[in-house]
Order: sequence, then structure tokens, then C-alpha cells
Amino acid sequence: MKRRTFLKSMAATGLATSLAGAGALTKQAHAKKKISFGEVKSVKVGVLSETSWFDNDNLKKHIVDYGGAMTNQYDIPWDWENAGGYMALITVTTLEGKERKILMDSGWNNDWVDYIYEMNNIPEMLKSGEIEFMVLSHWHLDHYWGIESTLKHKPDILLYAPKTYYPEDMKLLKGAHLTAKNKQGQDVHICKNDVPHTGKLVLCNPDGEKDGIYNPIPGVAIRNFDVPILLRVRGENVLYFNVKDKGIVTVTGCCHPGILSLFSYARKNFEGYKPYGCYGGLHITLFETWDPKFDDIIKGVKAFKIQKLGCNHCTGWIWAEKAAAAGVPVVKGTDKYKTYKRQSTVATASNAFLTNGDTVVF
Amino acid sequence: MTNKTQTGHGFNYLLGLINLVAVFCIVWLLWYIFLNPNTVMKLYTPMYGFSLVVGFLTAIVLLNNVADYYPFPYTSSDAFGPLQRGLILTGVAFLLMLFIVYIFFWGFIGKLGVAYFSPKSIIASGGMGAEIFNARENASTALVYFFTAFLWIALFWSTGFGRWPWHQSDRGIVAWSRLFAVLFFSTIVYIILFHPHVCYLFYPAQDKAGVEPWWSEFAGTGSAFFGLGLVLCTLFWIVASELLWEGSPWKYFENEGHGTWWKGLITFVATLVLGIIILIVLLKIMTYFWDEPFMGGQYTDGPDFRFIHAGEICGFFVLAAFILKHYFNNFPNLNSLWLRATIRTLLSMGGGMLFYWFYYSPLSTFFLAKVPGIAQPGDTSLVWTILFLSIIMVQADFFEGWPMRRK
Repeated sequence: MKRRTFLKSMAATGLATSLAGAGALTKQAHAKKKISFGEVKSVKVGVLSETSWFDNDNLKKHIVDYGGAMTNQYDIPWDWENAGGYMALITVTTLEGKERKILMDSGWNNDWVDYIYEMNNIPEMLKSGEIEFMVLSHWHLDHYWGIESTLKHKPDILLYAPKTYYPEDMKLLKGAHLTAKNKQGQDVHICKNDVPHTGKLVLCNPDGEKDGIYNPIPGVAIRNFDVPILLRVRGENVLYFNVKDKGIVTVTGCCHPGILSLFSYARKNFEGYKPYGCYGGLHITLFETWDPKFDDIIKGVKAFKIQKLGCNHCTGWIWAEKAAAAGVPVVKGTDKYKTYKRQSTVATASNAFLTNGDTVVF
Repeated sequence: MTNKTQTGHGFNYLLGLINLVAVFCIVWLLWYIFLNPNTVMKLYTPMYGFSLVVGFLTAIVLLNNVADYYPFPYTSSDAFGPLQRGLILTGVAFLLMLFIVYIFFWGFIGKLGVAYFSPKSIIASGGMGAEIFNARENASTALVYFFTAFLWIALFWSTGFGRWPWHQSDRGIVAWSRLFAVLFFSTIVYIILFHPHVCYLFYPAQDKAGVEPWWSEFAGTGSAFFGLGLVLCTLFWIVASELLWEGSPWKYFENEGHGTWWKGLITFVATLVLGIIILIVLLKIMTYFWDEPFMGGQYTDGPDFRFIHAGEICGFFVLAAFILKHYFNNFPNLNSLWLRATIRTLLSMGGGMLFYWFYYSPLSTFFLAKVPGIAQPGDTSLVWTILFLSIIMVQADFFEGWPMRRK
């Protein structure tokens, strides 16, 4: 074949392919029917504990020594002394003015969780049924392994958890003592639960009970995002609140799907979408490191016009500080965390985090 | 990348399939020992393992495409059979990888020049995140990017210029000259496409050493995944034209069988343009499935993910192209070059999508201990793809196809 002929035919095919491709593929995903899940008057989030661990370097060393971020969390002999936990108490005020309470997550180290629960009167709220149900955001150790501390006060609590559990997760929920081997081959205690869960377990998936969500209270939606997560975990439940006259508020455990993806989902799916606020770990600079992608998130949060951003836990202090400096409306915390028996080694005087003992109202 | 194809007659496709299965098993075994996060070495952290795997591929390409095996025999002989040749060259490639990563970058460049190439130097500089895990990941990220730039230029040079302008010289001169030329241009590519990202991996950003990623506004991300995706998409066309199109159309610009300045220039520009086209097409396909990405989006919503995912898809295409060439005799071998090149390209894309399906199916949970799902932060299919490619290249080029292909 002559050079000219070959080039001509190649160019023609390339052009035809790219044009056909571009034409066919510019079609966007079909607009879906928008969901209306009701409204609430306000939402108050109490930070029970956002210190899932106290020493970042200690936690990272365990991850490094036992295989990195993809390792099964149940194979790592974590340092029990470094373990804390993540829990939040959410109080919803309905349009009728009634207060309804939800517990998000159950922490990690039972001693720490018990200490926090006692400080906040959680055992009484659980026993009396004032806390109506618990939402487990995801199956990570620092959100779930302290489950015994909740179940011992309310074994039959209604529990919403991601459907994407592993056998060890369910074993712990039903009652188990689990260990992991250290470098010397010795078994190290990593978590336990002596109080099997006896209540209703709603295993959440992206289909939801209707239109992709679970709607336990008018104005409150639980949405499951099936995303792969570090330490061989999968799937996260997110709470959405539709606050009357304000807009959509998200409350997350770790927000692995990404805070802007949550608002993007709301924009595409919720009727009358207005962005308003968020609370939770936002999973950005988890280990206080940096990446150009984190600058992207700051620009993105501003573009999405989020008006009230309360963050802590895996958000990373440096991201919160940098975001606040860039004009993101970060809700500052107080010094109350300093009165607790332990503090995180990465906490700074900037109070860019809502820390243990703080509250935020949307 | 060699260009030996038998005619379709007499080629045993079953043997090719058996060979492919054997190589898949070897890759699985290597993954299990070195990279599986739940077994022995656990190197898939992920960037540390990634840098070693791409370092090994770089060593293979350096020996094969840049040095033309100098100072080793170009081909096997009765005295130096394919088995011996393969074992020696594989050993040399492995040692070369160790030398480049641990001595040249970690111990020399990173220690005496650019700190971010050495975990120890990063830790010594102090500041936020300066501890072994993060320091090693960041140094490995820089290495992955440098190796990517090297692979692009080395493979482009091999396809575009060949031995030009040293084709009249002996092997030693060609090898050394080409090495320095490739390194020179790789360094420029690295500085422009990747260095700004690495400088902004630190807090505060090293903004006197590198500019703020210049592509962030139009790409929607400051991540160098933009450049990585572009390079990998371009590499697919370099590989496709070399392996599947039998050097066409670039070979029409040769002069008496040797590369020319024009051939090199046209190859570079044309493959880059084709790379941009396939990148755009793949981005549009992703938009169709996942809607528009947006700055700051995570997982499938992130522009950074879309770019690297386009590169990952092209990585699967490259893998399938190598398999078609080496285990299925570049099927089909029709008379019309245009027709056979088109069918092979389509087969490579189809085969690549099969690998895509495999990697994101529960099968990879079994074989690779991967968490099911797309876009897990820190997970990239490129590590498995490059490991697979490396083993194929070792067998095809170092062992000359032994034991499947015998002289």
C-alpha cells in the first residue's frame, strides 16, 4: 500500500470513529425522577468522639508494618492503647417540634467509648429508647469495633448498616472475641463483643427501600454508597437531612464517597435541592499529608456553595485550616476537648475541627 | 518489542493459549508473593510496589529498546541458548531495577540533589507527614512518574527514530547515545508533566522548586494523573503501531530501512494526537456512565480519576496487544495490511475490555485480594497490568519465546 493511501484511509477512519464516538457519547445520563423525602426543622450534631486514634504515627506504623492500606483490618494487631473511636449523637427537630435522636457509629476501644457515653448520658438514652436507632456508617474498626458498648445498653437496637459486610464483621455483631497475629506469631486481642445484637438489622444497599434511600424519619434519608475503602472495607451509609428553608445537610462517618459527590448525588436526586451544610469526617488528609487533589476539593467546596462545613476526624487538620484560610465557611470548634482525658496529637490551636464535646446546629 | 510474526499456517494457537495461561499463573504467583496485601511481602502499599514494578519494566525496556541488549549478544546462539540468555537478561533487569531505585534514586539523586526521590531525605527535611510510610509513598510516586516519562520517550524513540542518527555506528555507541538522548527528553517530560505534582505533595507546597500544576484549570484537577493518562493513551498507539500495524505508517518515512528525523517527528506528533483523541473519547464514555466529573469530586466523580482511568484502560489495551502478538501470532494475518491492522487493533481493544472486566469483577478479589469496586483511592490496575506486561516481555524478548517458540 502506498504511503499516501494508507495515511488517507487511516485519517478517514480515525475521524469517523472520533466523530461517531463523540456524537453518541455526548448524551448525558437520563434525568431521573427527583425524590422528596420530607423536611425537618433543624438538626443538631453532638460530637461524642471524633478521635478514632490518638497518635497518627502509631496507627500508620501498624498499617505499614502489616502490609499497607489494602490489608484486611482484622489481620493487623492494632495498639489497643492508641484506639479511641468515632461516634456522633444527632438530634432532629421535626416540623412539629418533636426531638428525635439517632446514634451514628459505635467507636472502637470499649473503654474510651464507655467513658464518652457516660459523659453524655448515652446509656440512659439507649435504655429508654430515646435514641431510636443507630446508623453504622461503615465497617471500619474505629466506627464499629466498639459495638459492644452500645449493645450492652440496648441489644435490640434498630441498626442500619451497609450490606457489604465481611464474615468477620457479622461474627463480631453476633458476639465474638477476635485476635490478629503479631510479627512474633502471637495472638493479639483486637476487638470483642459479648452482647449479640438481637434487634432488627437493616442491611443497606444503593437500591434503598425506595428510590435509592431509606427514609426512617420525614426529612431524614439514609443513602448507601457502594465504594471500596481502605483496609478491605466496602460501602458507606450517609445521612441526609432536608432542613426547612435552609437546604440539604449531610452527616457522615468518614465520607469516603467524597463530600462533593454526596452533594452531587443530592443535586441530581433530591427535589428542591439547595446545598447547605455538612458534618463529619470528610476523608481528605487522613494522615495529615498533602496532595494536589486536596486543593481541588477546596476549590470544589467553594464552587458547590456549601454554607456551613463542620469537619473533624479523617478530614485532616491541615485541610480544614487551609480550607478556612481559602474562605470555606468552616465551623470552628472550642477548647472543650482539652478537658477530656486524652487528646489527639495532631490537634492545633486553630480549632479548625469540631472536636470532642462540641456541637453544631443546622 | 520485537516484530517477528509467523504466517497463520502452522502456528499452534492452542500452544499459545497454554503459554498465556502459564504466564497468567506466573503473574499470579508473583502477585501473591510480592504484592498481595495479605500474604508475604505486601509491597502493594500501593505506590512502593508500583514503583518497583514499573522500575522492572523500565529496566526491561532499557535493555531491550534502548540498549539493544548491548553488551549482551543480540540474539541467542548455539553456545548461548534462549534459556541461558533469558535467565541472564532477567537477572540483569532485576539487578538494574534495584540499582536504579535504591542506589541511583534513593541513595544518590535523592541524597545529593532532589530530596523527594529519597524517603530518608524527605524524613530528614522534617515537617508535616515526614515519616517513613508517607515519605516512601511520595518518593515512590516521583519514581513512578519518572519511569513513565522514560517509558514514553524510550518506546517512542525505538518506534520513531530506531537507531537514527547513529545507525552507521556500532552497538555500543548506539546504546549509550540513545540512553543519554532518551534520558534527556524523559527529564524534560518529567519536569513539565509530573514535577509540579510532586512539589505539591508536601505541606507547605514546594512552590519555589515547582510551579503550581499548570493544567489544573482546564483539566479540573491539579493531579498529575492528567499527564499520566495522556502518556499512557499515547503509549497505546506507539505499541499498536509497532506491534499490530507492523511499524506502519511510520516506516514509510524511513530512508533505506533506517529511521529519519521526519519519521521520528511524525511518529511523535501523530501518536500524541491519537493519544489525545482516545483520551477524549474515553473521557466521554466515562461521562456517559458516570456523568460529568467536577473539581474536587472523589472516586468516579474526580477528574483525576477519569484521567488515570483512561490510562488504565489503555494499559489493558496494551496488554491485550502484547498477548495477541506473542501468543496468538498477531492474528489475523491477512494480505491487506490495512485490514489486518484494523482487526488486530479492534481485537486488542476487545481483549483489553475483557481484562477490564476481570480486574473489576469479584475474580480479582480472589486472585489479587482486591476490594470489589471501581476507583478505590490508591488502587490502580496499572500495577497488575505492568507486572503482566513485564513477564510477557521477559519471555518474548529475553527468552525469545522459549519454551513455546523454539529456533
